Amino acid sequence: MDQLIKVEHLKKSFGNVEVLKDINLDVEKGDVIAILGPSGSGKSPFLRSLIDLNAVDGGSIYIEGRALCENGVYPSAKEKRSILAKTGMVFQHFNLFPHKNVRDNMLLAPLLAKQGTRDELNKKALELLKKVGLAEKINEMPANLSGGQKQRVAIARALMCSPDILLFDEPTSALDPELTGEVLKVIRDLSREKMTMLIVTHEIGFAKEAANKVMFMDEGYVLGFGTPEEIIENSDNVRIQNFFAKIKH
Amino acid sequence: MTFLQWLPQMLEGCLITIKLFFITIIFSMPLGLCLTFLYTSKNMAVRKIISFYILIMRGTPLLLQIFFVYFGLPYTPVIGKYLTISDRFTAGAVAFILNYAAYFAEIFRGGLLSVDKGQYEAAKVLGLTDMQTRAHIVLPQMFRISLPAVSNEAIILIKDTALITAIGLSDLLKVTKTIVNKTTNISAFLAAAVFYLIMSYVLTIVFKLLERKFSF
Repeated sequence: MDQLIKVEHLKKSFGNVEVLKDINLDVEKGDVIAILGPSGSGKSPFLRSLIDLNAVDGGSIYIEGRALCENGVYPSAKEKRSILAKTGMVFQHFNLFPHKNVRDNMLLAPLLAKQGTRDELNKKALELLKKVGLAEKINEMPANLSGGQKQRVAIARALMCSPDILLFDEPTSALDPELTGEVLKVIRDLSREKMTMLIVTHEIGFAKEAANKVMFMDEGYVLGFGTPEEIIENSDNVRIQNFFAKIKH
Repeated sequence: MTFLQWLPQMLEGCLITIKLFFITIIFSMPLGLCLTFLYTSKNMAVRKIISFYILIMRGTPLLLQIFFVYFGLPYTPVIGKYLTISDRFTAGAVAFILNYAAYFAEIFRGGLLSVDKGQYEAAKVLGLTDMQTRAHIVLPQMFRISLPAVSNEAIILIKDTALITAIGLSDLLKVTKTIVNKTTNISAFLAAAVFYLIMSYVLTIVFKLLERKFSF
């Protein structure tokens, strides 16, 4: 059993508002965990804390056995970068670099980190773009891509550092409905390749079919954690039942 | 005095105008950029000093600042003789650089604020250091966003250069005034207007090209 992420008693406040109250989680290699719950439940702050976009106030986060945060105390910026080197993230609003074409978006970070020669990385970028079905867009500027294409490039960009863990923060929420399918397909392909992923999403159908575990959050707590059937179909928690009942109708 | 007789003088005046323009741009933009970054520092005292500097530079007339540097600084108690800039052009250029740096600092600060915070986050999750993020992600976008305002400022500068006439430099305006006095004829003023227009027009074209080149 390979444990990739371990989270213990995570706490986080924004001002007076406690958004994460006591979060615990174990993520094993190959897990695809859908994080569901009503808005304001702390899903995004939790996901973002795993890659140090939010600093937590208490609790611990271990990434592949190394402490990103132990009892609310963080190591140096350099140490954090090293711990998170194999963790990637995909955002709701893609966050491609608008002044760089697709190729340079993908090559910038690995070139700066000296992860290979320009030729090697170029080849890798092309392979990854083929995988997301956008090889012909390699020289395009982001402004010339559709939302779905931008998100697929963003996924390919995140894959450039060969991550062990990929985090998705509502990857399809900013997309027109007819464009969500192409992005979900890419994520589904990744799950078949046993990529470890945590996905904050509102796509219940997708969660049911692509995730092996569901984490249900509400008001800063984890209300339920289990297989999609256990949580989405057969939860004995009233709040969880109500949430899914509302969504179905 | 015919047109062909005073044209060379006017061209010489243009050269001084253009020289002042370029020297001001070359020094005030990097200085303004430094001010912007100092202003974004976490040190409260540094931020206060910068905003006081910008308040003074934007809140008082440039002409007063030119007089201050050229005529005023030598009268500073005790250290006056070390602050004396006896060359008129240098004194004028110093005043222009200090003044325009404040405006460029504000322009760049606006550009910096317009860079989406998602850009910083994307850079961070890709493992870029703060310096790398600044150099590769933030600065290029900041410059692009600032370009129209910089272009505007540059066109204002080309016309502001006429202010150094006031400390006796033979720039385009000064030369023109002398010619008008000698010829008792309005045509030199019109010619000067055309020269200023041409310079502004060239700038407009150059910045349009830059904007197109760096569009995204």
